[in-house]
Amino acid sequence: MGVVTGVETAGVPLHSQGLLPSGSRIAVFSEIFTVFLVLGTFVGVLVIGYMLYNAYRYRDGDHRTDDADRPVLGELPGDSGGGRKLLFSFSLSAIVVVSLIVWTYGALLDVESVSAQSADADNGVDVRVEGYQFGWRFVYLNGYQSNELRVPADTTVRLSVTSDDVFHNFGIPALRVKMDAIPGQTTETWFVADDPGTYQANCYELCGAGHSFMNAPVVVMEPDEYDAWYGSTTAANESSSANESSDDAEATTA
Amino acid sequence: MTHDRHTETDGGATIDDEFLEPVVVDESEMGLPPMTSVKRWLLTTNHKDVGILYLVTSLFFFVFAGILALLIRLQLWSPGEGILSAVAYNQTVSAHGLLMVFWFISPLAFGFANYVVPLQIGAKDLAFPRLNALSYWLYLFSGLLFLVSFFQGGTLDGGWTMYAPLNIATYTPNIGATTVVLALILFTIGITMSSVNFLTTIHRMRAEGMTLMRLPLFSMSILLTVWMMLFAFAALLAALLILTSDRLLGTSYFAADAGGSILWAHLFWFFGHPEVYIVFFPALGVMAEVFQTFTGRRLVGRKWFVASMVLVAVQSFMVWMHHMFLTSINLPVKTLFMATTIGISLPFDLMVFALIYTLVKGRVRFTTPFLFAFGALVLFILGGITGVFLGAVVLDYEFRGTYWVVAHFHYVMVGGATALFGAIYYWFPKITGRMYDEFLGKVHFAMYFVGFNLLYFPMFLAWETPRRVYEYDIGLTPWHRLATIGAFLLGASFLVMFYNLYRSLSVGESAPANPWEYATTAEWAVSSPPPLENFPGRPSYATGMLSFLTASGTPAVSGGGRTDGGVADAHRLDTQSAHDAHAHHDSHASPWPVVIALGAFLALLGLSALKQGAFPEGVVGMVYGGTALFGSVVLALSLVQFGRESFHTSEPDVAERWPFAGVERTKLGVWIFLASDVVLFGAFIGSYIFIRVAAGWMGWEPVPHDPVPGLVNTYLLLTSSFSVVLALVAAQKRNRTWLVATLSLTFLLGVAFLVNKGLEWVELFHEGVTFSSGVQASTFYLTTGLHAVHVILGLLILGFLIARAVGGAYLDDERPVEYFGLYWHFVDIVWLFLFPLFYIL
Repeated sequence: MGVVTGVETAGVPLHSQGLLPSGSRIAVFSEIFTVFLVLGTFVGVLVIGYMLYNAYRYRDGDHRTDDADRPVLGELPGDSGGGRKLLFSFSLSAIVVVSLIVWTYGALLDVESVSAQSADADNGVDVRVEGYQFGWRFVYLNGYQSNELRVPADTTVRLSVTSDDVFHNFGIPALRVKMDAIPGQTTETWFVADDPGTYQANCYELCGAGHSFMNAPVVVMEPDEYDAWYGSTTAANESSSANESSDDAEATTA
Repeated sequence: MTHDRHTETDGGATIDDEFLEPVVVDESEMGLPPMTSVKRWLLTTNHKDVGILYLVTSLFFFVFAGILALLIRLQLWSPGEGILSAVAYNQTVSAHGLLMVFWFISPLAFGFANYVVPLQIGAKDLAFPRLNALSYWLYLFSGLLFLVSFFQGGTLDGGWTMYAPLNIATYTPNIGATTVVLALILFTIGITMSSVNFLTTIHRMRAEGMTLMRLPLFSMSILLTVWMMLFAFAALLAALLILTSDRLLGTSYFAADAGGSILWAHLFWFFGHPEVYIVFFPALGVMAEVFQTFTGRRLVGRKWFVASMVLVAVQSFMVWMHHMFLTSINLPVKTLFMATTIGISLPFDLMVFALIYTLVKGRVRFTTPFLFAFGALVLFILGGITGVFLGAVVLDYEFRGTYWVVAHFHYVMVGGATALFGAIYYWFPKITGRMYDEFLGKVHFAMYFVGFNLLYFPMFLAWETPRRVYEYDIGLTPWHRLATIGAFLLGASFLVMFYNLYRSLSVGESAPANPWEYATTAEWAVSSPPPLENFPGRPSYATGMLSFLTASGTPAVSGGGRTDGGVADAHRLDTQSAHDAHAHHDSHASPWPVVIALGAFLALLGLSALKQGAFPEGVVGMVYGGTALFGSVVLALSLVQFGRESFHTSEPDVAERWPFAGVERTKLGVWIFLASDVVLFGAFIGSYIFIRVAAGWMGWEPVPHDPVPGLVNTYLLLTSSFSVVLALVAAQKRNRTWLVATLSLTFLLGVAFLVNKGLEWVELFHEGVTFSSGVQASTFYLTTGLHAVHVILGLLILGFLIARAVGGAYLDDERPVEYFGLYWHFVDIVWLFLFPLFYIL
């Protein structure tokens, strides 16, 4: 994939062997999600199937042959034993759940390690994201502001997210990045976009009447085009025209 | 009246039906009008009546919030514009969530808890029946207050999580939004009373032989639920009181700067996560009972099941930050909360397996209650598996704010409600004395289960939809349409249920005492419906089997056992129990709970219009102000009448009381209440420290620049603690003059405290330091203000005690003075924390 991610910084050798999820956040999410989905479906079918089978097999019928000890009215609550079988199944499920979560923990460390990088690292792009009722403002290091986010492909984009007014949540679903926008605080996150194109950022925390429409275009450009564009921006020539930029993006994807 | 019919239960429990006919006790003698009279339902304090009131009321709110849900689904039928405006959609979503979580699910469960728990543990009623009625009326009126909010320029539209600072008046200025917050406060007060009541009851009134570990699982689930409620709702109350102060008085906790936004998230989720288990535990208890009855097997691994529940209840207070993984909390904290989250999910695995293994070798009968309990378990398994996805933090980052979360928690919460719908069918014969129609019950289940999955499963498939948006990506349309169809099928299934239950009330077959083979718990050992005071004698499990003893301790009738000759005993029992009932003369009716709740309703309704401490100009303001004043007067007068009313309840002479055998009933109630008050003050003090740390601890100047008034007040309160001890000694020595003198001294010291405080505040106001002068002033006024309110409440009680002491009360029974002393000492101790925190540090 050749993108700049935190894999190197975490330095876990297992990544290279493909045992732990790695790559861009899109790849990591998709890998973990798929594994969870497959295992979850398997466990679900197994457990619910076992339930249905036993409910059917031990249905009450006309012929009551067994004379097992049945509960009677007025007895103190007791149990049917079976503790060993129960604890065994429990241990099995605990092992599955704990190992699954631990397996994803390395990916969490990756995600967090890039977030923690200082803003003046040599590589990558830093953008400040400011939420307000109801829109997003993107502020670049050179002071340029816009209502659309332009970033280069195959590059780590570090976001510092905050809010002018109420609690928002900034997310670009297609790029698997999401972070709370909290007034009075700044949170850090990052992403890498593999493919140039236009994506959409949404608000993921109810923030008032315009919540449903609190979107912003995200334009991923070829790195050299991005450099040219960024070079032409200054703090003064801010833009909020989304149409013009999405045309550009179509041009770049074409 | 004599039938030869016997209720045969497999394994030998044979109960002569004669015991199971309603015991003929003239209820009107106990001041209780007949069930057909509206008056009875306004006056009753009997746990079974109150249970029915809870059930009916919660189903009303279910229908209301369900219609809101259908509005949501109609809006989402098409991806673009629909029937609702953006603001209306936000209000619908918020009201749906709040009403379902607070006014429907838990109250439905507590309807059953009210009805069934005393029967299961062998108690005649709850420990404080009048308080129980008051809890119900506060619940009902808080719900009505919520409904009023729709007509005050729109209800709250900030989501059920009410995130700050969207929840302050700057961003949600509707009066209706304030009303919702006040409604929640009223609800929480009722909940706290109810928690104290159930805890005292279950800990002190269990039948002989029913140790804590031997509680039937439904009662056990309620016990753990109320323990969680006691602490969780105190945290919510703190959050709501602070929010109310921000909205009404203009304090600035939750405004944008100084961490207010995150503070709300902490307070809300410290309550919010235990709330998930508060909602789910009763359902789990129902599943355990219904599984045992309809499989004819005792639960597999019962002690592990109970241990798992206890573990979850304790851990539930240590997982709240998993709702905040995308805030600025750091990696070690995230890791810790990831670990606790996995930790709390594992006991549920065990409980699920225990239920499943109970099926094995059973005699499974697919009655309506079993189908619902079984269905609930299937849904819970799906909810649990999809919850593991959310436990992986990397996945959680992406699921945050999407329909994955919506689908997951509906599978869990409505999955829980599924078991409670089963409980309606399970206990319907007991409550009404009539059988429901089994065929219609199964039709309901089929429609419900299909509708449920059609509604919520597509949400997993359309999970990329952001939450609480009223338009979505056009590609997701098919899934949302499917969900809407499922919603209407689900809704329609309840028409079948209501028709079935309504019809069965009049034409249903008469229900025997125990219509369910293999049911074991005590509610099935008495007639359907049970008599007013529940049992034909004192229930006892001393022999390991339920039996009802006469006052002299001889067996009157055996609830289990293999004896078959009961006729002679029966007559003896009838006369005996009737005699007992007359001797005790327990009270069962009081007009004051409903009046108190009405007064509180009006007072809060009036206060809802306050902004920055002032009512709006003109007629509107006068109407609101007048309503607040009138409500307060009604509230005050009815509280006094409540205190003066002679209301007799008795405690069983013999009961299992571990671990509180040495603590008298009311004292235990006071202790439990104080425990929740500790959390309330803890949350306030924690909020102050949180905000001060966020603003910079060292740069924070204490608001009162002069600590002397605070120091004087410390001495005043400490002295008053001493004088209240003297009052107790005087009461024990039966010295009326000294009692009145020392109580009056305490009163004067309390008044001096308030006067001194008032002077201090007036001076600060003159200097321009008001409620709205910034967050430092806010924390000072609000925290010490909450303490002052406690002092004022103490003085009101004290005034009441003095008035009665003058009349010669407390000389024979000094306990009220002792219990007041407990409260008063607590209030003093709180001040010992507040003084250094707000005046010195």
